[in-house]
Amino acid sequence: MQSPSSLDELIEALRCLPGVGPRSAQRMAYHLLQRDQAGAARLAKGLAQALERIRHCARCNNFTEQEVCERCASGRRDASLLCVVEMPADLNMVEQTHAYGGLYYVLMGRISPLDGIGPRELRLDRLLARATDGVLREVIIATNFTNEGEATAHYLSEMFRSRGVKSSRIARGLPVGGELEHTDSGTIAQALLERRPL
Amino acid sequence: MAGGERQRVDGEPAFVLHTHPFRETSLIVETFSRNHGRVPLAARGARRPRSALRGVLMAFQPLSIGWFGKGEVRTLAKAEWMGGQPLLQGEALLCGYYLNELLVRLLPRDDPHPGLFDAYADTLQRMAAGLAPAPLLRRFEKTLLQELGYGLTLDRCVDGGEAVAAAGEYVVVLERGVMPSQGQPDEQPRFSGKALLAMAGDDFSSPEVLAQSKTLMRMLLSHHLGDQGLESRRVFKELQGL
Ligand SMILES: [Zn+2]
Repeated sequence: MQSPSSLDELIEALRCLPGVGPRSAQRMAYHLLQRDQAGAARLAKGLAQALERIRHCARCNNFTEQEVCERCASGRRDASLLCVVEMPADLNMVEQTHAYGGLYYVLMGRISPLDGIGPRELRLDRLLARATDGVLREVIIATNFTNEGEATAHYLSEMFRSRGVKSSRIARGLPVGGELEHTDSGTIAQALLERRPL
Repeated sequence: MAGGERQRVDGEPAFVLHTHPFRETSLIVETFSRNHGRVPLAARGARRPRSALRGVLMAFQPLSIGWFGKGEVRTLAKAEWMGGQPLLQGEALLCGYYLNELLVRLLPRDDPHPGLFDAYADTLQRMAAGLAPAPLLRRFEKTLLQELGYGLTLDRCVDGGEAVAAAGEYVVVLERGVMPSQGQPDEQPRFSGKALLAMAGDDFSSPEVLAQSKTLMRMLLSHHLGDQGLESRRVFKELQGL
């Protein structure tokens, strides 16, 4: 039996989601059409609306519905500090600490040469323009401690250094409350290498 | 490996060359193992937040791994960190990506090259220890070409086979080898006999040899890589252009 083409179209469209193969896409499509048509309508509307309204903040590159997001527009943040993170989820984690009152820049990715993602793809020139606005005193590089995050941090630190912008890297080591006995050897090895004088 | 045969491997020295997401929570890990060459493995659940594999499957770190299964992509059974090597940082890290990209692009899957594996491990270890990357990269490139069967004789000319003289000037003709430079087209890069002999003896210590070997290796590698350039080289160039 030949399936109707708009069903094929939907299944194919669902496959753009990360981790969704042909089988799960088919399951999702059947579920939406058979069991939850209201949910499907909401999903369609939500997607269309988000696509139309959401863009990148001109200051921090995070998702927003305005030209400049609320956080960047609020005068209550310390504009002399800029924290660079890979993804919006990382920004949320830093915010949850309540230990940081500066502004952010969200890269929306990281340098990964084997995936073809370099400085150009990440539009790092925009970050440089943002960081040289004259008010900024220090950029805190808070990319992940993966190889990709480290490569990104290296590139950023060289980029800022070439323009005379002061930058720092967040520290790494044992987690707060962490016990050596229950810590992975990579973390302990690096913590030993990066020990500091007391 | 001949596709259909079941395989079970344990305690195999290996490195991760690259990973990409697979299904909802898994990874396809492109590994470079000492006795089985480049093997793609599915690491099930490796992208779950608390997966024990998450921190272990990092490129540039010596691992001991095991896998089973048949077909092109086999299943990773375990991976252990062998340790003893600091993480690559800064320029060395970008050089590490360059090595990995060369291996992913040029090394066929399931083709064992223990000699190349040892050269790779040694190069990473020296870079992690803070040695200047350039001479290490040139030596690795030379080993890679040799291991893949594209090696060139650098201390002898192709026709007549006369020995390269330190004071002479030469060209290197692709797929053939060293020839005296007289009568060769101008666009062919010139190499000094001294530099060719040093390269033949794996001595990349002088700046002249370093510069000439970079030209030579780039010429030979581009020939085998074809039109698609290396992404890691592009990132490196953008960094140097700052
Ligand atoms: Zn903003």
